[in-house]
Amino acid sequence: MENKGVFSLLTDNLETFLQYTGFANATPGHILMILIGLLFIYLAIKKDWEPLLLIPIGFGIIIGNIPLFPGLSVGVYEEGSVLNILYQGVQKGFYPPLIFLGIGAMTDFSALISNPKLMLIGAAAQFGIFGAYGIALAAGFAPAEAGAIGIIGGADGPTAIFLSSRLAPDLMGAIAVSAYSYMALVPVIQPPIMRLLTTKQERLIKMKAPRAVSQTEKKLFPIIGFLLTAFIVPSGLPLLGMLFFGNLLKESGVTRRLAETARGPLIDIVTILIGVTVGCSTQADKFLQMKSVYIFMLGAGSFVIATSAGVLFVKAFNMFLKEGNKINPLIGNSGVSAVPDSARVSNNVGLEYDKTNYLLMHAMGPNVAGVIGSAVAAGILLGFLS
Amino acid sequence: MKKMMKKGLLILLLLIFVASVQDLGAQNMSDMRINEILVTNTDDFEDDFGNKSGWIELFNTSYGTVDIGGCYITNDPENLTKYMIPRGDVLTKIKPRQHSLFWADSKPHRGTFHLNFNLDESKELLFVSSDGRTIVDRIEIPHSIITENVSYGRFKDGVSVMADKKTLDITNTWGILERTSPSTNNFGADKEPPGMLFMKIDPYGIIMAFTAMSVVFLSLIILYLVFKNIGKYNIKISRKKAEKAAAGSKHIVTEEETSAEVFAAISMALHSFYEDNDAHDVENTILTIQKVTRNYSPWSSKIYTLRERPFKSR
Repeated sequence: MENKGVFSLLTDNLETFLQYTGFANATPGHILMILIGLLFIYLAIKKDWEPLLLIPIGFGIIIGNIPLFPGLSVGVYEEGSVLNILYQGVQKGFYPPLIFLGIGAMTDFSALISNPKLMLIGAAAQFGIFGAYGIALAAGFAPAEAGAIGIIGGADGPTAIFLSSRLAPDLMGAIAVSAYSYMALVPVIQPPIMRLLTTKQERLIKMKAPRAVSQTEKKLFPIIGFLLTAFIVPSGLPLLGMLFFGNLLKESGVTRRLAETARGPLIDIVTILIGVTVGCSTQADKFLQMKSVYIFMLGAGSFVIATSAGVLFVKAFNMFLKEGNKINPLIGNSGVSAVPDSARVSNNVGLEYDKTNYLLMHAMGPNVAGVIGSAVAAGILLGFLS
Repeated sequence: MKKMMKKGLLILLLLIFVASVQDLGAQNMSDMRINEILVTNTDDFEDDFGNKSGWIELFNTSYGTVDIGGCYITNDPENLTKYMIPRGDVLTKIKPRQHSLFWADSKPHRGTFHLNFNLDESKELLFVSSDGRTIVDRIEIPHSIITENVSYGRFKDGVSVMADKKTLDITNTWGILERTSPSTNNFGADKEPPGMLFMKIDPYGIIMAFTAMSVVFLSLIILYLVFKNIGKYNIKISRKKAEKAAAGSKHIVTEEETSAEVFAAISMALHSFYEDNDAHDVENTILTIQKVTRNYSPWSSKIYTLRERPFKSR
């Protein structure tokens, strides 16, 4: 009798235990998301596509999609759980400005300072954001959601997370994963568009070598740049402030330790946390919706528009420039702020047509201008739609 | 004496700091506004005790939490400390852009939010800072226009319309409200989010694209113009300096004439040369812990290792 009691107790407990396991709670959605996570990890390791982003996001997707019995306080959406606490940086939007601090501390703006007209390319490429905004509105998204989706075209992960956490928190997971995926796919998406929109003659344009920039100019850039942009778009303050502050740490010459921390350990820590928690936020029940598919499609569209706008703008701009001062339209794609990937794409495509035409330094100008431009654009969307 | 003065200065600075911090606190209280009042309540909201009485709504206009514990509400300009809002009650911490409701029922024993006066005979209402002297907000009660169960409030929460820099335009700020709204917005609680309003005038995002792109371009054009001119100025100054420094020399190559690519190429060439030859970057001397084969070396010479002893010069 006593033995039977122990046995039934054991089986009861085992049954309860089994209810808590992932096997009992798994759904096809969970399995699909885990496979997507594994695909991300595969692409990062085998294809070397943005491994610093895809490995944390990919593993985060796996963590976030382990089937859970609700109420154990372990899931990313369960208040007070460790993952939920780490996710606050994404939800409240304090990871992206910290990443911008690191980006500022590692970015050399001298290419931009030496040839400031390249800034305009960075502005033109932001058309991708607003083009996608219009398409998203037409597709039936609410204005705030459309704004958050449009920012994918800025090719700037932290800005996308920052803006979507403010405008459309429900879509943040899909927007962040989409933004980072397309950033990783920059070398695949951009070259065909660049080839399509340029003639062979244009691709062979050799640009004037940039002049050397004095240290004073480099020191002045973050201060003046911040004051001007922040006064125009105060809603972009967290991103612009941290970006230019990080750059001042780098260029001031007297805060080397701080700059090294910002561009080294700090940005690494935040990248790990933002990647894993964004990945975790893609729980199957929240992520696997038709909306996510639309977001991925609109994201691709915004990248295409942004790249095209950059290239076409350079072509139009060249009509007003004297011979010898012309810009190679192959750097138009780098107006999106995927630093330095899109600049690298400009260089590689340029080298395909002329082995002596190195465009990297020229392309870095619009590339870093794109970072400023997308932060300004995010500020405008926030100001208009929140 | 000097030490005493230093200490005194330090204490003074500390006091200034403390005073400024206190001032900041006062600034928070200064964000509070009397927002709406109901003088005679016979058929409006009830308090927790089931009584209907007049009420006063305060509004925190700031984007930070304000603790109004220790502040005063009064209907008597001669007695600014008539009712002190008790300290230590968590409910006196008013969240950003939120309201707080006080019952004017002359029954302060019923809790923090029950005042020791009522509004029927009050001519004026004042909200006073915790120092008991600073009047943060005041409003005259126009009994002639206020009827039963009708509230008198600001048309927009916390907003004061000014006739000029110093004078309040009372008629455009306060008035009889369409409906009473204790603890909620006087206007716009049911208004559409800005994005939806914007979509009504711009359903395809064309105005947004045009406006936003103009702002992005404007920001970067200003930056472009500023740095174009800074660059020009910088080149001019450097040229002048270089010309001055090498007035006699035949050819001056200024930094600006040398492109960054040239510097990059030189650095690259030097880097690959040193890498290929495994060369040390200090050419003539090599620091080593191995025995030097030469019998004499300046590194082992005692002459070089001796130091002169310090002595006083006379």
